[in-house]
Amino acid sequence: MTENHPAQPVLERFVLGHLPAAEMRQVSQHLLAGCSECRQVTAGLWEHGAQLAARVPSAEGIVDRSACDEAIDRIFHIILTRESEVARERAQGRELFEELARHPPARQHLMVSNSARFLSRMLCEILLEQAHEAGFREPARAVELARLGVAIADRLAERSGEKGGEGLKGLRARAWAQLGNALRISSDHAGADQAFETATELLDPVRITPHEIARVLDFEASLRRDQRRFVEATRLMDQVIAIYRKLGQRSLLGRSLQQKSLICGESGDSDGEIALLRRALELLNPEEEPRIFLAARHNLISALCESGRPREAFALLFHTRPLYLKQGDRLNLLRLRWLEGAVSRGLQRYEQAAVAFREVREAFLELGLDYDAALASLDLAEIYATQGRTADVRGLADEMLEVFRSRKIHREAMGALSVLQKAASTERAELVLVREVGSFLRKARNQPDLQFTPIS
Amino acid sequence: MSALDHPQPEDTLEEFLDRVRPRIRGLFLRYRIPPQDTEDILQQALLALLYHRDSIRDPEAWLVGTLRNKCLLYWRDHRRKLYDAVDAAVLEVVAEPQAPDQEGADLRRDLTSAIDQLPERCRSILSLRYRHGYSPSEMAVFLGYSQGSISKMTNRCLAALTRRLVASGILRGQE
Repeated sequence: MTENHPAQPVLERFVLGHLPAAEMRQVSQHLLAGCSECRQVTAGLWEHGAQLAARVPSAEGIVDRSACDEAIDRIFHIILTRESEVARERAQGRELFEELARHPPARQHLMVSNSARFLSRMLCEILLEQAHEAGFREPARAVELARLGVAIADRLAERSGEKGGEGLKGLRARAWAQLGNALRISSDHAGADQAFETATELLDPVRITPHEIARVLDFEASLRRDQRRFVEATRLMDQVIAIYRKLGQRSLLGRSLQQKSLICGESGDSDGEIALLRRALELLNPEEEPRIFLAARHNLISALCESGRPREAFALLFHTRPLYLKQGDRLNLLRLRWLEGAVSRGLQRYEQAAVAFREVREAFLELGLDYDAALASLDLAEIYATQGRTADVRGLADEMLEVFRSRKIHREAMGALSVLQKAASTERAELVLVREVGSFLRKARNQPDLQFTPIS
Repeated sequence: MSALDHPQPEDTLEEFLDRVRPRIRGLFLRYRIPPQDTEDILQQALLALLYHRDSIRDPEAWLVGTLRNKCLLYWRDHRRKLYDAVDAAVLEVVAEPQAPDQEGADLRRDLTSAIDQLPERCRSILSLRYRHGYSPSEMAVFLGYSQGSISKMTNRCLAALTRRLVASGILRGQE
C-alpha cells in the first residue's frame, strides 16, 4: 500500500465527486489498496454526501456564503437584462408566426427549412402552443403546426452545436411530444409512437426542467391511454403528478389528476375515477380555469351516473348547470343536454331522457359531428331497447349506418352498427347488445383499429 | 400549509427575484452547491421561467421546486462519478495478469470478501462484471433484465460496494 496519502481536502472532494476523473481513480485505487487512515477520513465525509444524495440536506456553512450571494447577484443581473430580450423575441416570434400563417402549409415548411429568419425559439414556442390549441378543433392543422415546431427546434439545436444543443433538449423534447400528441389525436398511433420515442430520448433530467419532463410524460400518458395500455399510462401520470406536486403547481396538479381519472374510467375503475375527480376539483380554480373546472365536473357527473349513483349526479348537475350556461357556447350546452338525458335515464325517467337524447342527436348531425350523433343515437336506442321498441332501434341503426356510409368514416364503427341493425331486424336487439355497441363506439373513437366482437 | 396553498400575486421580475432571494440562497447553502455550479443551475432554471412565465401559475413554488430538483440531480451526478471511479479502479485490479504479487493477491481476496458481503442480487451482478468480465448488455441478457434495469441495478450495487470501500472499511485496513 502506498504511503502517499491524499490530503484531507482531496479526500473531501473525492467523496463529493468533485475531482477530475483521473484523480478520482487514483484515490479509489489508494482506498482499494486498504489505507485504513484515509478510509477513516472518507467514512466521516461519506455520511454528509449520503444525506445530500438521499434528499436530507442538513449541513450548512461549508460553502462560502458571500460567494453564494455573489453568484446569485450575477445571475439575477443576467436574467433581468435578458427579460427585455425575451419580450422582444416573443414579439418577433408572433410577427413571424403571422407571416407564416399567411402561406399554405407546404410553403410554410419551405420557409422554415430555408430561411434563417424563422430560426427563432419564440416562434417555435408559439407554434407548439398553437398546435396544442388546434388539437381540440383541427387535428390535421395541429400536426402541421407541430411539425413546423419540430423542424425549428431541431434546426436550432443543430445550429447551436453540441454544447448549445444540450440547452435546447427541453424545447426539442416538447416539440416532438407535441407532434406525438397531435398524431395521437389524428389517430396515427404508429407515428405518435415514433415521435414519443424521440421525445423520450431527449429527456435528460440534468438539462431539462422537471416541468418540461412532466409535459412530455403527460402527452405520452394520453397516447398509452388511447392505446389501452393502462398500466403504462397510470405509471406515467403518477410521475407527472409527483413532479407537479413538488413544483407546487396546484392547477397543473389538478389537471393531471383529471387526466389520471380518465385512465381509471376507461379501465373500468369507476371508484378510482370518482375519487380522482373529486381531488382534482379541490385543486382547480373555477374562476381562473372555468373550462377545465367544468370538464372535471362534467366527467364527475357522468361517472356518478355510470356507476349507478344518479341521485348524486342529479344534485351535482343542479349546481353545475350555471357553469355550462356561463360558458354559453353551443357545444357546451349540448353536452349539458346530453348529461341531463343520462341523469334522467339513471333516474328511470325514460321519456325525459329520450327527448334530451333526440335533441342532442339532431344537433350533432346538424353540426356535422357524426360520431357524437352516433353515440347520442345509441343512448336513445338504449331507451328504446329498455322499452322493447325494437323497430325504433332498427330505425336508428339504419340512419346512423347511412350517415357513416355516406361520409366513409370509421369502418369498424360501421361494422358494430351493422351488427346492431341485423339484430334489430330480427327482433333480437336486446339492451345488452345496444350497450355493447355504445361502449365499443366510445372506445373505438380514439382507436380506429379496434375490432368489434359482440359478447351477447 | 404547503406551498400549494399560497399562490403569489403577480409582480415584476425584479420584485419577484427580490422576494425569492432568501429561499434560493438558503437552498444553495443547504445543498452545498459550489458558487460556479450555483450560477449554472440558477441561470438554467430562471431562463426556463422567463420563457414560460405566462404558463406558470405559482412561479415561486415552481422555481424553488425546480432548483431543489436540480440540486439533488447535481449531487446524484457527482455520486455517480464516485461510483464510476471505484468501478474503474476495481476493473484495473482484476484486469492485472495472473500470479500477482502478495499485495495484489490480498487486494483481490479483499475485493471478493467485500462483494460477498453484499446482498445476493449485487453479488451476482458484480461477480459477473468483475470475475467473469461481462459487459452490461451481456449481464442484461444473462440475468434476463432490460438494458435500462441492469444499468440502474449495477449502479445501486456499485453504490453499495463504494459504501463498503469508502465508508465502512471492510477491507484489509480493518481486519
